[in-house]
This record gives sequence, structure tokens and C-alpha cells, in this order.
Amino acid sequence: MTASTERRIEDVNVIVSGQGGDGSLTVSTILADLLRQRGLNVYTERDVLSRIKGGVAVAGLRASRDVRFGRGDHVELVVSFDLEGIEKMVTQLAPDAVVVYDDSDVPMPAGLLPANVRLFAAPFARLAVRKLGRILYKNSIAVALATRSLGIADDDVRHGFEQRFNRLGPAILGQNLQALDLGFELAEEMGLSAGHDTVEQDGRPEGQLQITGNQAAALGFIAGGGRFFAGYPITPATEILESLEGWLPDFGGVVWQAEDELASVNMAIGAALAGVRAMTSTSGPGIALMQEGIGHAGSAEIPLVVVDCQRGGPSTGLPTKPEQSDLNMMAFGGNGDFPRIVLNPGDPGDCFELTVEALNLAERFQCPVYLALDQALSQNLATIAPFDLDAVTVDRGKRLSAEQLASMSEYRRYAFSDDGVSAYSVAGTPGGMSLVTGNERDEFGRVSTSPENRARMVEKRAQKIESARADLPRGRRTGDPGATLGLIGVGSAYGVLLEAMEELEAGGVSTRLLQPRTVFPVLDETLEFITSCERVYVVEHNATGQLAGIIAQGGGDTKRMRKVLRYDGLPLRPGDIAREIIERESL
Amino acid sequence: MTETFPLAEPIWCAGCGHFSVLSALDAAFDRLDVPRHEAMVLAGIGCSGTIQNHVTAYGYHALHGRVLPAAAGAKLANPSLTVIAAGGDGDGLAIGGGHLLHAFRTNPGITYIMMNNGTYGLTKGQASPSSQLGFHGATEGRAADPIMLGLSLPGTTFLARGYSGDAAQLATLTDAAIRHSQAGKGFAFLDVISPCVAYNDRYHNWRARLCDLDTVDGYDPRDRTAAFSLAAALEAEGKKPTGLVYEGEGLALEAALGAAPADANIDPAANMPAVRELMDSFRG
Repeated sequence: MTASTERRIEDVNVIVSGQGGDGSLTVSTILADLLRQRGLNVYTERDVLSRIKGGVAVAGLRASRDVRFGRGDHVELVVSFDLEGIEKMVTQLAPDAVVVYDDSDVPMPAGLLPANVRLFAAPFARLAVRKLGRILYKNSIAVALATRSLGIADDDVRHGFEQRFNRLGPAILGQNLQALDLGFELAEEMGLSAGHDTVEQDGRPEGQLQITGNQAAALGFIAGGGRFFAGYPITPATEILESLEGWLPDFGGVVWQAEDELASVNMAIGAALAGVRAMTSTSGPGIALMQEGIGHAGSAEIPLVVVDCQRGGPSTGLPTKPEQSDLNMMAFGGNGDFPRIVLNPGDPGDCFELTVEALNLAERFQCPVYLALDQALSQNLATIAPFDLDAVTVDRGKRLSAEQLASMSEYRRYAFSDDGVSAYSVAGTPGGMSLVTGNERDEFGRVSTSPENRARMVEKRAQKIESARADLPRGRRTGDPGATLGLIGVGSAYGVLLEAMEELEAGGVSTRLLQPRTVFPVLDETLEFITSCERVYVVEHNATGQLAGIIAQGGGDTKRMRKVLRYDGLPLRPGDIAREIIERESL
Repeated sequence: MTETFPLAEPIWCAGCGHFSVLSALDAAFDRLDVPRHEAMVLAGIGCSGTIQNHVTAYGYHALHGRVLPAAAGAKLANPSLTVIAAGGDGDGLAIGGGHLLHAFRTNPGITYIMMNNGTYGLTKGQASPSSQLGFHGATEGRAADPIMLGLSLPGTTFLARGYSGDAAQLATLTDAAIRHSQAGKGFAFLDVISPCVAYNDRYHNWRARLCDLDTVDGYDPRDRTAAFSLAAALEAEGKKPTGLVYEGEGLALEAALGAAPADANIDPAANMPAVRELMDSFRG
């Protein structure tokens, strides 16, 4: 970052690193608010360890003129309260990065930082204790150095503090403002004077949303008429449960924190039997526990929406890190053959839309519908256009009313039909009493082992997916339509690939991208996209190429498909992907 | 009248205790004037897991051990339904034992009938958590008593025990249990000793081991401490109480959560103004 009298921020990545629970991450929140107020698109990333106190906690923040759904390749500003934070970041520093460092405990070792990186180090923690009597104020001291380096006017920062700390009372606000002034004094001493830089921007349209994928999915659930939700806390899915606990009662719905995931999924099934749109959400280990219930919904033909906020696996794996390694479990998990649909949103707007769509598909085709998110998409905060609420529709499929039932001489819950979908009535509807079971059954729902009936029932259930195909959400495409090189990615890979494409283009490699929004069943559009390219790189966040495998199993041309994989627990980064593809293309 | 499903022939053996449970339940709907379309009968897995096939109601065959969460989900989704969960002792004390604890604790307004025969009948006679000591493999671990479990939890509001060999008492208790749930008082648990004639035929033994609480002078089903003392004392003699063991006051879960009848208006036109307001709270 070069000092100049006036500067416009195009794209800045900030990392704040401290010990978990010491308040240092609020530095990131304060900076995000200030940058957002300057008209920038803000994306924030969490990289906390799965514990409340202790351990290195890192918050990432990106403020950019263009909308971005991921952190960039380089970090322009690091604010760190311990050396470990710097050591973790040193390879990612931009050549002219700024490092603000609290050297209360450990001085900065000579030679650790590259030559052109500017270091502003002071014992913030000790100063905070000595001058203000509380170590917590180290954070506000550091904010001053960070905002000076970003070129945000001191008065704007003070104003931001007033907005943020007012509710905590005048004493706390006053102490924080004192700490801030202490920081400004330090900045002066170090040559970071005020007034040189002016950050202003007009890239972000008014009224954009600042929202995570989990929040967007929760909002989509309510908009789409979801009125029963049961869940069990698990990172990184908990915010869906918590958001709905706050919102759904106002819409006449019920949210319940169940005793475990087995209860959650079966409660949702019970609610669906009573005719209420129902959903549960969890992450890998919870999805594993729910497999029996999900397969049961598939067999018994019960509408059910399950959100999987994927995290690093296997087993308890990396609870707070992103990964896309439950795709096989969603597409192929469970005992026996049963229909299921797997939808894959790529940004919070997609999370909203596809949750609405999942509710409709679940009732229309009476089967489980997965929404596959991942930690980065679930928990990171992105700037995005407001959702199109006017486009929301509610389609309850072949649901029978009391009047319809009264006009029928006979109602068979599992009646055979051309599209495989039987009409259904829900508990409470006069005249629609029926038997619902996960055992093989005849059209009336009576348990049956007749081979002829069995074969027809298996085919009926399979037919539902064929019938659904035409209405399953289509993918998003972007890039040069004439490019012979294709990219495929879902979830948080979508936004990262958008940026990687720019880097590829700059490197002379022209590409086009497909984000399949339905991963299972594999749609013809995905197969056709692959055959229309010479080579397609399937970029995903797991060790074995699960997405590529699902597409191949669905008929994708494996001769044209290449895998780009990441499984080290770090988020996908555009530069890494672009570099790898350029390297492989130049062989 | 629309014909929906023809009632099936029970798979149970002649003399099976479950016939009594079925009679008591089916008749209770009529005695209590429950419209059949407002009744749900959810059953678990095992011999008991077929009871819904013989009752005109919305029947559901749950996964093994998961009948309680499914029933609670249905009740929370539509509190106007009369929701009956039924299942065996393996279903409710072994694979689904965890849910029973939380049903007592959280008090959803459902009636749970445990068709307790002390064995896994459908898989041909293995020991269950309520098998008597010495039964086949049950050499370790003493029989679990769900009523004692319920008495130990402060959230419990209704505990009763019937016996398949006493149809009159079972009918009275079934009515009382359903009434408790219907009245918004919450979770009604009815343990029914329902002998398995094929693998654990103990009719001859049970009658002498049961103590009808109606014959106990001064027994007050509102006194949890006394109920526990008596049940523990009886257990020491190898006996169990039958009748209304405990009835307490409590708010049903659906009432505590303010659950509305099913199908709050989810039409987008009606729904969207409030959704828009919520979305607008995310504008930066």
C-alpha cells in the first residue's frame, strides 16, 4: 500500500489474528463496517478453531469494488496480536503489505517479513493495561493503526465507535475512544499521519444485502412457506437453527432444538405427515446419522428438505473448515434405491432461491431434497443483491383437499401413475386416512412382498426423478462462450472460480464456467457442457473428486474431465486454481 | 365415503397381548369422539409396529426407535391432531430409549403406548431391556422400568400401567391417557404389560405380580415421591403397580411453543410483506 494524498480502494484483503475469545475479532467487524460505509462490497471470512477461548482465531475481510465471494490471493493488511498469526500469513502477504503487530509478548524476529512490507509494531496490550487498566482496549488501539493505514479519516472511525459502543454505555465508549486516540498518537509517532489517504468508493449499489448462506437459506425457508424446523447444534450449520428460532415463530411456525440428529430428521418427517413444510439442517456427522431417516423419506414418499453445511471430514474431521466431501453421501448414501435430489447453491442469493425451490420439489415429488452448502458459503458474509421475493411460488404438488377426497370413490396413497407421483393427503384432512410406511407396500400402503408389486413400486419411485428432471434448477454459466476450456464448480467454488477466470484470462487462458445447481441427478446440460468443451476442470474441495465422480457416474465424458482438488482445510483460492490450470494447460 | 385402506389382518399370534391394546385404542377413539381423520397412529418396528394397520386413522410406520420424534413433530406441526405413538419395549427402551427421556422432559401432547412384552418377538425371542433377569441372554443388567424412569424426571406429567389381561382397566387408562394429551397437559405414557405367547409367555406369572393402585388405600397419583416409593418397594418384591401411577400438572410442549394449527397462511402474497421486512434488516 503506497501512501498518496488520494486513493481509491479497488480491492483490499485484511486479516485479523488473535487468541480466540480475546475480542480481537471485533477489530475485523469494525473495519468491515467502516469499509462498507465507504461503498465497498465486503466479504468476511471466519477461520476460528472449534473452541470458545484460546487457540489462534483469524478473521478475514475483503473490501472490493467488484462483488467477490471469497478472499483474494494476497493479504494487504494484517493486524495481529501474536506472532503465530504473522507466521501463518507471511506467505500470503502482498509485496507492499502493511503489518500492524502487538509486540507485547514477542518482538518481531528480524527477517521474518519480506523487505517491502511495512511494519507498525507496538506493545498494544501493555499500553492498554498501563494507560487504560484493561487489556481489552488493545483492540481499539490497533484499530487506529489499521484505519490510518487504510486511509479512513479519524473522525469517521470515532463516529463508527460511537455507533458501535454507545449501547454499552458512556464509560465503555469513552475508554474505547481514549484507546483509539492513543492509537492515533502511536500512528503519528510511526509516521502514519492522518489526512493523506482518502478512501471513497461508489462501487456498491445502495440497499445491497450483507448476508451469509445460512441466513439466506433460513430466509428462503420462511419465504417458501416452511413452517417446521428441527435441528441439533453443529458447526457450521447452527446459524440456520438460531436464525429460525428468532424468526419463524412470528410466521406461525415452530422451531425445535431436538435431542440429536435422529430426532431432528424424524420430527421433520412427522411434521411433513401433518402437512407442514419441514426442514432440518446439519453437517457431515449429522448427515451420517440422518441417513436412515432420509432413506425412509425416500421410501415412504415423504417431503423432506435437508441442508448439509459441509465441513472438513471424515468423521468429526475439521469442524470449522470448509470442504465439499459429503457429496457422495448425499447422492448415494442410505440403504436401498430411493429417489433424492441434491441442489447446490453457489452464493447466498442461490441459497435463498434454491431453498424455496427445494420445498416445492420435495412436495411435488414427495422425496428428500438436499441443499448442499459448505462452511465458506454457510458462514461467510457476502454483499449481494436483494432476493427476488416476487419470484417466490409455492407449489404443493398433488396434495388432496377434503373436497377432492370426497369426490373420489377410492383413494390409494401409493397409486401407480405415469409420472410416478401419487396424490397425497395429510393428517387432519377428512376422508384421506392412509397408511404410510418405509416397508415395501401396495398401493393402499399395506406392507407387501409380492414380487410384481415390488418391482412396480421400485420403478414408480425411480420414475419420479425422471419426471422431475425437466423442472430441476438449471446451472449458471459465465465466461467466453467460444472457449474450449470449461470449468465446473459448486458451492463456495463458484465465486472463487469467477475470480480465477479473470486470472486465467489475464494469463492468456480463456474459459467458460458451469455451476450446476442440480448435482444429483446429473442433468443433460452438465453432460452437454462437458462434450462442448475440449477439456473441463472440475474444481472441488475434497480429496477424491466426488463431484467429478458423480458427474462421471451420470454419464459425463471422463476423457474430457480433469480434477482440481483441495483438501488441506483452507478455503479455495482463485490464484491457486488459476496457477494449477495454467501449468497443466502448458504441459 | 371415500374408501382409503382396507384394515389388515393382524399378524399377531392367538393370545398375543397386543390384541387388547388394539381393542382399547380403537374403542377409545369412539368413546372420546375423536374424528378418525384427526387421529394419527404412529407405530415403531416389531410386532407392535403393525397396530396402525388395524385402526381407521392416519397410520404411519416409523423407523425403529423413532416413533416418538415423528409423533412429536406431527403434534407440533398440527396441535389439533390426536397423536398416538405405539411401540414395543425394544423400540422404546433400547434403540429409541434416548427419545423417551426427552419426551418425559419436554412434554409434547402425545400419547405413547408401550406394548411391553419383555422380548423381541418379531425376531424370535431375543432379550430386551425390559426382559426379566434370567430370560434367555438377559443374565446381565436388570430390567428397565419406564415408569420409574418417568417418575425420576420432573417434566413428567402422566404415567400409567395397564395389563393386557385386564381389558376394563386398560380401556379406562387408554381413555385417561388420550384425554391428558388432548387437554393440553402434555405427554401421556401408558406402559402395557402385553405378554408374548410365543417367546415370553408369562400371563400365569404376571397376575400375581401386579398391584392395582385402585386397591391401595390412600394412594394419591399426584404425589410423585409416594409414587416412586411404592413403585420401588413393589419392585423389591418383584411386583409392579398398575393403574394411574402419576398425574402432574404441566404445559404441553406445543402450547409452550405457541404452535399454531397447521397451515399458517403460506401463500406468497400473504407471506411476503413480512419476509421483505426481515430481508431488509440485512441491508448494509
